[in-house]
Amino acid sequence: MGLLLLVVIVAIAGMVWTASRRNGNVVVVYVSEDQVFSEPILKDFERDSGMRVLAVYDTEETKSAGVVNRLIAEKANPQADVYWANEPIRAEVLRQQGVSSVYRSPSAEGIPDQFREPHGYWTGFSARARMLIVANGSVDKPGSVLAYTDPRFRGKTVIANPLFGTTTAHMAALFTVWGDERANAFLDAMRRNDVHLASSNGDSADQVAAGNFEFALVDSDDVYNRRKQGRPVEGIYPDQEGGGLGCFIVPNAVLLVKDSPHPQAGKKLIDYLLSPATEKKLANSDAAQIPLHPGVETPVDIRRLETLKVMSVDYAQVAAKMQAIQPLLKDWAGR
Amino acid sequence: MNAIELRAVTKAYDGRTAVADITLSIERGERVALAGPSGCGKTTLLRLVAGLEVPDSGTIRINGTLVAEHGRNLVEPEQRHIGMVFQDLALWPHMTVHGHLDFVLRYDKRSQPADRPSRIREILEMVRLSDRGRAKPGELSGGEQQRVALARALIAKPTIVLMDEPLSSLDPELSLHLRGEILRLHAELSFALVYVTHSREEAADLGSRVIHML
Amino acid sequence: MQRRLTLLLAVLALAVVGLLPLVAMVVTSVFVSGKLTLAIYTKLLSNPLQYWIALGHSLTLATLSAVCATPLGVALGLLFGKTDLPFRRTLTVLLGIPLLLPPYVLAICWFNLLASGGLLAQGAPVQLAGLLSHALYGLPGCWWVMVSALAPAVMILTLVSLHAIDPRLEEAGRLVARWPVVLYRITLPLVLPGILFGGLLVFLLTLGEVGVPVFLRYPVYAVETLTQFSAFYDFGAATAAAMPLLLVTLLMLTLERRFLRAKVYNLRPSTPGRRMLRVPLGRWRIPAFLSVSLLGAVMVVLPIAALVVASLSPFAYWEAWRQAASSLGRSLVLAATGATLLMLLGFFCGYLIRTRTMRLWRALDTLTLLLFTLPGTVIGMGLIALWNRPGTAFVYASAAMVILAYLAQYIALTSRITVATLFNVPQSLEEAAQIAGAPWLARIRHIVVPVGLPGLVGGWLIGFIFCMRDLGASMLVYPPGQETLSVRILTLMANGTPSLISALCVMLVAVALSALGLLGLFFRTAAPRR
Repeated sequence: MGLLLLVVIVAIAGMVWTASRRNGNVVVVYVSEDQVFSEPILKDFERDSGMRVLAVYDTEETKSAGVVNRLIAEKANPQADVYWANEPIRAEVLRQQGVSSVYRSPSAEGIPDQFREPHGYWTGFSARARMLIVANGSVDKPGSVLAYTDPRFRGKTVIANPLFGTTTAHMAALFTVWGDERANAFLDAMRRNDVHLASSNGDSADQVAAGNFEFALVDSDDVYNRRKQGRPVEGIYPDQEGGGLGCFIVPNAVLLVKDSPHPQAGKKLIDYLLSPATEKKLANSDAAQIPLHPGVETPVDIRRLETLKVMSVDYAQVAAKMQAIQPLLKDWAGR
Repeated sequence: MNAIELRAVTKAYDGRTAVADITLSIERGERVALAGPSGCGKTTLLRLVAGLEVPDSGTIRINGTLVAEHGRNLVEPEQRHIGMVFQDLALWPHMTVHGHLDFVLRYDKRSQPADRPSRIREILEMVRLSDRGRAKPGELSGGEQQRVALARALIAKPTIVLMDEPLSSLDPELSLHLRGEILRLHAELSFALVYVTHSREEAADLGSRVIHML
Repeated sequence: MQRRLTLLLAVLALAVVGLLPLVAMVVTSVFVSGKLTLAIYTKLLSNPLQYWIALGHSLTLATLSAVCATPLGVALGLLFGKTDLPFRRTLTVLLGIPLLLPPYVLAICWFNLLASGGLLAQGAPVQLAGLLSHALYGLPGCWWVMVSALAPAVMILTLVSLHAIDPRLEEAGRLVARWPVVLYRITLPLVLPGILFGGLLVFLLTLGEVGVPVFLRYPVYAVETLTQFSAFYDFGAATAAAMPLLLVTLLMLTLERRFLRAKVYNLRPSTPGRRMLRVPLGRWRIPAFLSVSLLGAVMVVLPIAALVVASLSPFAYWEAWRQAASSLGRSLVLAATGATLLMLLGFFCGYLIRTRTMRLWRALDTLTLLLFTLPGTVIGMGLIALWNRPGTAFVYASAAMVILAYLAQYIALTSRITVATLFNVPQSLEEAAQIAGAPWLARIRHIVVPVGLPGLVGGWLIGFIFCMRDLGASMLVYPPGQETLSVRILTLMANGTPSLISALCVMLVAVALSALGLLGLFFRTAAPRR
């Protein structure tokens, strides 16, 4: 009993000490980008800047208690300085909730306007492209997302559950570009064409690689990693032909938290994350992300942004649409 | 001044009356046996005197001090300086015989820490357990356990000792022997004894006055 | 006076730790834009049919899990605690392992085994593999994972309760009846409070489970509502959505109390020093051993083996250590601290409930169970709303928030375990100390705690296990840079290599087992001998 009480006393002392660690040369960052990719970048920042980084990482989208909820809950007394989102929709939601503040980083110079919030509430960097992963040796190869409604592929396609992650954002993007009627018709046609649902992009990619399905709409890093594993797949950037929709690009986004405890440190971290050097690291890692700065060196397998036809979207509209179509998507996924 | 005074004490449980309007006085040093069939309220009466139950109505005085009245204890059991031997002895399984006695003395405000060893030795001699001080209750025989319970009740030299059928589970020979021990200790220490039993023989032996409860 | 003051302090502590965050969340749900309104609740009632279907799914899954896990856990507890089954200690540890892992991780283990392309599927005939893969998803898979995850909890509770039985009571029965009759008519009724709580535990934990149903694609209420909340970042809606779960909890609690009321036994003091009676299995010894071993192989060895196999890569454990060493140490300290404080507060709450010292004992018991049922998200949000203020920054910025999350979420465990333990500590032992002049705290310290020690240690162990594997509220409140191992596993799951994740899970199990083993050793040498 005495030993256990000693543990409690030591632990309480430790807790008080941990609280004090927030003082000094630190920056607090909440991160939605996968920890395996983001943590090395943050460690590099620690080394290069001499600052201590205290991070909270996100869980998979299927878990409801994400860092976005935490940021909103802490709004009255913010604890974080920076939020690193893995897609701009979350950054937009936080802007709408009044969690972010304006910061135009000098490192953002060169990043296309489409990937920056007009007023400076968030800035995009290092993106994923939504691509079609196709099994090697397929006779019929899809060239567009509309292939999901092509009778040739009836029952042979798979897509990640549209309630979570980049698939949701992609659906919302289609709604903003096509309009509700056409987008709804597309969803209905997909269902009639017996599309299968997977639990995630990774699951979809694995199923195609295993030969269970002809193709799936996934993120570019899913394609890259399967190919790196030697799986018999290839990636197709959809809707690249003249008049085509273009490829939906999902950049990371970074924002400065409003009334954060260490705003100057936060700005330094944002500058670091938005730099071409960071984009190069993320391009060359297993994250396989497309740099938004022009001229950044990338591996052969990763196409440069300049060479792609990009779907023209307003991410603020996409964010709003995403929330609006949730019930519809839930109904669609449940059928 | 009487050792124990009960006036019009009543106690009921869930609508069933256990003790009904009892008035009773027990003098200092007196030996009173409470006899009666099971369920007549003997144990309840003992527990009321000890303070482990609270009377619904009536008053209880101990050595002249009002300790309980009409639904509340004015003096808590731990402050009444009473010794009690429970029906099932209630020995603490994790403590040695010595530990039992030391525990009581530790909370007896009248005892000095320096006196504890000698008092423990003294009481162990009285109950003939001098060589069993380090044993735990599980290592003792039935009779030895009874004597530990007796010693625990007596070590703080209480003016009142309550015994709730302490010998009911023993063989006649041992029971007879221990009755003798109780009388001897009573003669030495002169406490008021309230002894609950359903045996007429025991009641006659141990009580200078026998009260039959119905 | 001492007793009343201490118990009052315990009640106040519980109010601060549990009630206030709950109140904070309820207030959020009824005050929208500064105005009092029940709009969120009326919206909940008019929710589409799918929510009520999801609630039906939740109740089905919870009931099926409880109905299966409870008798299984009791049977295992009886076999290990009351018989001469060979290697029962080893089997107890083996079958307790699933409890050390978050159910979500177990779901992943079974996925690795049974999904198309999984370990078993590779070796099995195609049709069987397809059947197994199909059965994994939906209700059957969720049911199996929850039963294998939670039956160990019932097993431990049964073992703890069995330890407290006075063997004379069984001996009296053995004079007139055979062992099966004694077990059924005497032993089991005596451990009924512990068993009932075990069943309630399984039911409530399954009711609030999110990770497993999401992963295995079974639409349950907690997932439907929390997904909704996640999409719209509406905390008030999350609280309102939790209300049906709380109502179900209240109903279960009422049923439990009704059932137990007629079965409360006030026991006489136990014969000191007697050992627990063991039932000789005779010719059933080997078959029983083989059956339990087979169960252990299916329920534990298979999924853990899948985990270990997945972790076998040259550098997985090195990388896991590099990634998570600090989280691991932190988890151990937080879990030990959490378990100790849970046991401290839980003891006094349980004492109050058992002895009914204050009139609010029922309200206290109800509150602890409601907190247990609440999704961790709601508790986390409540804790943030309460503590994230400039004046309390020293608390909010520290790991104390994780402890507060543990206390709020799990106080029901230690409180109820204390109640079950005290059921078998005769009141006369405390009364004898009271007569001897000992004040209340001394009676608790020198009499009640030592006599009830096996049960209380069991409570500490259960508290430790649950704290160690916690993911709910603590995920929302841990200070930046100070995540626990369970949280780290979850955050690394997205794109972490399967071998790394598996290695981390194996570490979690190994470390928790080692800590428990050390503790067992410590108590065996240091605890007072009965």
